Amino acid sequence: MADFDVVVIGAGNAGLMGALTCAKKGAKVLLLERHNIPGGCATSFCRGRFEFEISLHQLSGMGSAERPGPLRSVLNSTGVLDRLEFIEMKDLYRVTYPGKLDIALPTEKNAVVAKLQETFPKEKDAIAKFFDFVYAFFAEVIGAFYLADPDISPQKYPLYFKYALVDTQTILDEYFKDPLLKLALSVYWTYMGVPPRHLPFSDMAALLFSYIEFKPYHLKGGSQMLSNALLESFRSAGGKVRFNCPAERIIIQNGAVVAVKTALGEEISTRCVLSNASAITTFVELLHENDVPAHMYEQMRARTVGTSFFTIYLGMDCEPGRLGINETTNFISTTEDADADYAQSKRLSCEKSSFLLSCYNVADSSFSPPGTSQAALVTMKYAEPWLRLSPSQYYDEKFRCAEQLLRRAEKVFPGITSSIEEMDIATPLTHMRYLGHPGGGAYGFDQYAKDSTLFVPPTPPIEGLYCAGSWYGSAGYQPTLTSGASAARAILKKLR
Amino acid sequence: MREEIIKQIEGYETIRRDIEALKKYGYDYRIDRGEAMQAVERLHPSTLCLRVVDIIEETPSAKTLRLAPINATLPPFMAGQYISLIVEIRNVRTTRAYSISSPPHCTGYYDVTVRRVSEGFVSSYLLDEVNIGDEILTSGPAGNFYYNPVIHGKELVFIAGGSGITPFMGMIREIAQRGIDRTVHLFYGNRNDDDIIFHDELLEIARKNARIRYYPVVEHPSKSWNGLEGYITREMLLEKLKTIDGKAFFLCGPQGLYDFIEPQLAQLNIPRKKIRREMYGQPSDVTRQSGWPADVAASREFEMRVEGKGVFTAKAGESLLASLERAGIVLPSLCRSGECSMCRAKLLSGKVYQLPVALVRKSDAIFGYIHTCAAYPLSDVALECD
Repeated sequence: MADFDVVVIGAGNAGLMGALTCAKKGAKVLLLERHNIPGGCATSFCRGRFEFEISLHQLSGMGSAERPGPLRSVLNSTGVLDRLEFIEMKDLYRVTYPGKLDIALPTEKNAVVAKLQETFPKEKDAIAKFFDFVYAFFAEVIGAFYLADPDISPQKYPLYFKYALVDTQTILDEYFKDPLLKLALSVYWTYMGVPPRHLPFSDMAALLFSYIEFKPYHLKGGSQMLSNALLESFRSAGGKVRFNCPAERIIIQNGAVVAVKTALGEEISTRCVLSNASAITTFVELLHENDVPAHMYEQMRARTVGTSFFTIYLGMDCEPGRLGINETTNFISTTEDADADYAQSKRLSCEKSSFLLSCYNVADSSFSPPGTSQAALVTMKYAEPWLRLSPSQYYDEKFRCAEQLLRRAEKVFPGITSSIEEMDIATPLTHMRYLGHPGGGAYGFDQYAKDSTLFVPPTPPIEGLYCAGSWYGSAGYQPTLTSGASAARAILKKLR
Repeated sequence: MREEIIKQIEGYETIRRDIEALKKYGYDYRIDRGEAMQAVERLHPSTLCLRVVDIIEETPSAKTLRLAPINATLPPFMAGQYISLIVEIRNVRTTRAYSISSPPHCTGYYDVTVRRVSEGFVSSYLLDEVNIGDEILTSGPAGNFYYNPVIHGKELVFIAGGSGITPFMGMIREIAQRGIDRTVHLFYGNRNDDDIIFHDELLEIARKNARIRYYPVVEHPSKSWNGLEGYITREMLLEKLKTIDGKAFFLCGPQGLYDFIEPQLAQLNIPRKKIRREMYGQPSDVTRQSGWPADVAASREFEMRVEGKGVFTAKAGESLLASLERAGIVLPSLCRSGECSMCRAKLLSGKVYQLPVALVRKSDAIFGYIHTCAAYPLSDVALECD
């Protein structure tokens, strides 16, 4: 008799959702977390009178109670919805390219189209056609995948089979001329970590469709509230959790999982492990090389560790309107060339980096104390240049980069710097530290078309081992929460 | 989707071939086994093993322990940060945070300056029982009380009380020794003038550096004292500073210092964003904190049930973290001031007094999590510490 039916390694979105889903169905589950708090990326930290949100910007796929999106349905099945209060954002985003473009998009499809047409009147027709195309394409995705059509074929889903793997830039170039229009439409690429030149159109279409149809959301108390709520439901369902307890080894016998050894030296027997640790951690650190089929390492060799972030968390002593922050989501661009922009993410310097400023107070005035606001100013940065720094240079570089970004934020939101009451900075090394991921990759591996689950099956070929989270599929809240739930379904099937 | 269907997506074959090529030429992640996270360890080691290489008598009640690494290099820190000393005293494993009083550019050691606290469990041990050559386990540097060049400007006012001088020493030594372009006005309050830590060094630094202005203030001066007397007041600040505009204020000291100086600063209309305050340990007497129920005496004992570990005794006047440590239960802890959340635990039942300064996340408060270093039992309690 094993100690537990399932041991879940890592209390990130996927680990929490997987653990909860299994426990709800009566499985005996142990959740191990190396940190002292659940959530992984979905956490918060306090400074002064502010509680900073680590990573959530816009929750996708929620939808309203009347018209639920896929994420709401997944959360609903676990019973956590009652504990959470979701807030719909009234804008998709604002894109500012100082001196060249400043446009704020609402969330209704027709209003988005109208706003773009008003700003780019020469390409009026193309804009309408583009959105019709996105919708027609996504209607096929829904029919084929969300509704799980057993009989998928190119004849039935012609747009999907033609365009799913085409890169976003090709489609944008096909429809539009003005590079500023392409910029205005494609800024969400930073949510995926690779530029339009590499981003499969199916991903871009999913982002636009999902945010427009189901609206971007935030939740009261931030992502930590979601993580705590999932954990609480897990405990209520009989699940056991251990914080400050990293897993050290997944023990395999005769090709099947038999136990997990913790860093404290205990061996916990189980037939199923759900790993929410990074793929590199799982296959290089937690598993013994001899227990892993060689082709797994070959498969990993074809992949690259994805981007991390440089983030400034800001607590300000005034309301957002005073600084001209009127949208929750603000993309500040330095170029209309996304490739050039992406190239900046491999440099240390933030001098030319585009960035995103998210301010939830716009959607939820209770997000910070009355008369204050808080914002996260974030730019994509790979860990590599940070790894090359000597430790003695680290703090100086951190402040230098923060100053570079704030100097530019100041031009769009005058007064922002002088209103700062609390500030903290996270670098790719900070994300590495708290996530335990090489490269601090919150998005897992780079998400090129070759990295989609069409090419890389999420289930590893070791009996009893299941994996979920951004390293094994798409990144982001909706995908990782969903992947945890689907891994749990596979585990429950095995347990039965 | 089955592979024969996936194959029909346009572009599939090209990508398939790309993957095959990349498998040949890509990176073998196995070569980083055990080392992938080393860069993080160099900056933020979970623990450091240090040796006491010198003990410097500062005043009758304070000594500096100079701690050097045994087999490693020390991680960098920002002046003002602390390390947490992990000690075992008469079978009780506990921790205490001490600000690093040496400057960050002295990379060979960390100085921590310890003043005797009356009935201090750890300070007595460090002052009386630790010798040169002893090894001490510590955390890596941590804490949020430091100078931020992006927002703090170049005119700084440091207000210290007693041993609260220690984080400022690191900052002042850094500015003075490296010739950094930043002006410091240090107001340093002490009870008596024979017990001012770093007094001679500060006088010397101020004499040599026009950038460092030193104003020692003594509450009960001896006859030979010819400096400022009494408390640090707003009148004193205004007189010495001339103007408060553009200056950033940093405060560190015992609770009494904050209770006195914060209203003074408020009367000067100094905006909140211009004031930084170190979270500086637990109050010496929690029953004097606002909101503490009058009917619970500090000596009152309650039952503390710890899920899966047993039932123990906890005193009302002692933090739950300390009671857990006495019971032999080790929770990770760092700041012991309610700030860092390392000692977070779930309160299953019972009532606690959580210090108002504790920075508890909104959702943690809703789901019953407490910071045990800043929580005191007001009834029998049950905790889950896993």
